[in-house]
Amino acid sequence: MKKIPSLILASLMLAGAGASFVGCSSADYTLTVYNWNEYIDEGGKDGYDYEVNGVKADALYKRFAAWYEEQTGVKVKIEYAIFETNEEFYNKVTLGEQYDLACPSDYMIMKMAAEGLLTTYDASFYDTSIETNYYAKNVSAYIDNVFRSNKIGNQTWADYAAGYMWGTTGLIYNPEVVKEEDLTTWAILSNSAYRNKITTKDNVRDSYFAALAIYHEEELLSLKARFEAGEISYDDYNARVTALMNDTTDETISAVEKILNDVAKNIYGFETDSGKEDFITGKISINFAWSGDAVYAMDVAEEDGMITCYAIPETASNLWFDGWVMSKEISPEKKVIAQAFVNFLSMPENAVRNCYYVGYTPVIAGEEMFEYMLDTYGVEEGDAVEAEYDVSYFFGEGHTIGTYEDQLSRQLFAQYPTEDVLSRLAVMGYCDAETNTRLNNMWTNIKG
Amino acid sequence: MKLRFSRKQLCIPYAVFLICFVIIPMLIIVYYAFTTPVYDSLGNVTGLHFSFRNFLDLFQKNTDGEYVRLANIGRSILIALATTTVCLLIAYPVAYILAKTGIKKNYILLLLFIMPMWINFVLRINALKELLNLIGILKKNNFWNYFNTVLGMTYDFLPFMIMPIYTTLIKIDNSYLEAARDLGASPQRAFLQVTLPLSYPGIVSGITMVFLPSMTNYVVSTMLTDGKVSIVGSLIEQNFLNGQWNTGSMLALILLIVMFVSTWLTGGFKKDDAAVARGGTL
Repeated sequence: MKKIPSLILASLMLAGAGASFVGCSSADYTLTVYNWNEYIDEGGKDGYDYEVNGVKADALYKRFAAWYEEQTGVKVKIEYAIFETNEEFYNKVTLGEQYDLACPSDYMIMKMAAEGLLTTYDASFYDTSIETNYYAKNVSAYIDNVFRSNKIGNQTWADYAAGYMWGTTGLIYNPEVVKEEDLTTWAILSNSAYRNKITTKDNVRDSYFAALAIYHEEELLSLKARFEAGEISYDDYNARVTALMNDTTDETISAVEKILNDVAKNIYGFETDSGKEDFITGKISINFAWSGDAVYAMDVAEEDGMITCYAIPETASNLWFDGWVMSKEISPEKKVIAQAFVNFLSMPENAVRNCYYVGYTPVIAGEEMFEYMLDTYGVEEGDAVEAEYDVSYFFGEGHTIGTYEDQLSRQLFAQYPTEDVLSRLAVMGYCDAETNTRLNNMWTNIKG
Repeated sequence: MKLRFSRKQLCIPYAVFLICFVIIPMLIIVYYAFTTPVYDSLGNVTGLHFSFRNFLDLFQKNTDGEYVRLANIGRSILIALATTTVCLLIAYPVAYILAKTGIKKNYILLLLFIMPMWINFVLRINALKELLNLIGILKKNNFWNYFNTVLGMTYDFLPFMIMPIYTTLIKIDNSYLEAARDLGASPQRAFLQVTLPLSYPGIVSGITMVFLPSMTNYVVSTMLTDGKVSIVGSLIEQNFLNGQWNTGSMLALILLIVMFVSTWLTGGFKKDDAAVARGGTL
């Protein structure tokens, strides 16, 4: 997950997590699960079925234990722990922290897989003929294809990880202030027309990515033109964009540093979690955001009577995902349980619960998920359909959501980008230790 | 053999604690500060080797030709100096008034100044952030960013300045002042020549207790300025978070030296009442 929780919340959660570890139970197995803060339906009053039953619903990971015992008779206890950044999780693991299942982001999965820290999924996990293989049966074809066509060594991503949430990076903006044509490029970050009106993320990866898109802008646009003219194929275009957006040569890094220096002078600040407030108080009108956060930010702003939109620049955007991976030290018995846990979360009704609670977009398609999106973003009864939003690339042929005009640049667009955006989404891979040092050095030059 | 228990043995838990959590980590920091990773052809780390590279890296310029890292350390020192000065200017009169009021009232007054310390400081800074936002000076421009940083740190560390000064002031025998007055000193002169010198140990420990943490307390600057004001603490955090342990350790070591020098300059290592005042307050 990409949401950065406030320090207080995190410490409260940690205290809570610590407290829940106290007390032994008579479980046959204990599965240690590491996840981001507030990245699963935690039940309670914010939970999806709180209102329905009138009783306090339990967190999904607790419900899993009950479900699994019912299915197999095996008693499982889930030790649920949270981490705040991929690096923090990685440091813990390399220092010997024990875990069974965890949900790091794309590049961290690649890094850990490359370093031999992960166990691969059983081949049977992807067998759709098995009734309880909810992941294999419900994962969106689009995500499944990405996971299967990318490799780490001789294995595919799908061997190491099962997807959980996914999305893009883009810009939340105030449509009353920001001109739409300015949003077509990441160069808006250093556009002096919006001086002190922009915040971006306080981390090197996202900043580098955005600045890289500015640096390679001409090339990216010419690629786009060639793709649209039919000169290069979808796969070719996507591969070239991805290559450009993973460029870390010395020359590029120093060019990016210059660009980021201009950006740093132009923006209001590198925020960690103040983007939403600053929007509502009118301090800023553009905020670099991850799609999942954008949905939440737009919802929150709307409650305060403010309309904000989400845009993905024309040049390139980041395709990010978080996925479930298993520790290399996991025992065969626990591996079965861990895979069952992923399958449990992949049941469409549970994906809906998570989507409702977290606000991010699960990788799960499935009819319940589509119905939920239809309920959330489709037109109210009696209203005229203003736009047919095509999500068939994700949910399968013939799935469109009849929605309002404004959703084309708002929550629905942030949840599921339009198909034309997909071709210019680049996954940002991991950097080796040496490149990482160079990038960090550059970042210190900026942040100083 | 009879097991003899001596008073010295009471020190053992502290010695163990000291070795495990102070000395060993310190040695590890020194080790990391003077080594750099060795990379294989794939760019992975295969080992560490001795070098001064981390130190020399501090003198790197950015693309604008600025010495970013040195500027950062300088900025941290200036912010810490400003915070200490402001704290001292506020704390001394407060401590003086507290020490001179009647016994019954001053405990309540003292409590008022100490109580904020019982609330988690991240919460307090969050509250301050909202307040500054309300006034409209939060992240307004560079001047206000620095102002808010110093303000936030002063807010955080003021009790650490008041307490030691108060403790030394309250211990000053009133007869000294009476003697000074009897010998013809004006109240101002009595203050300058008797009270002030006698409270010096309190001032010194107050300064050390405020100056040192305000060089590193990056939470204040990060929360109140969104990273526009970066101090050495945030630089160290950033390095460690991104896996740059060697650079981070070197910065930590530099910080340690700055602190050592500043403690030495204020006479913090001398065997005098300063230590007593410090011990007395905590």
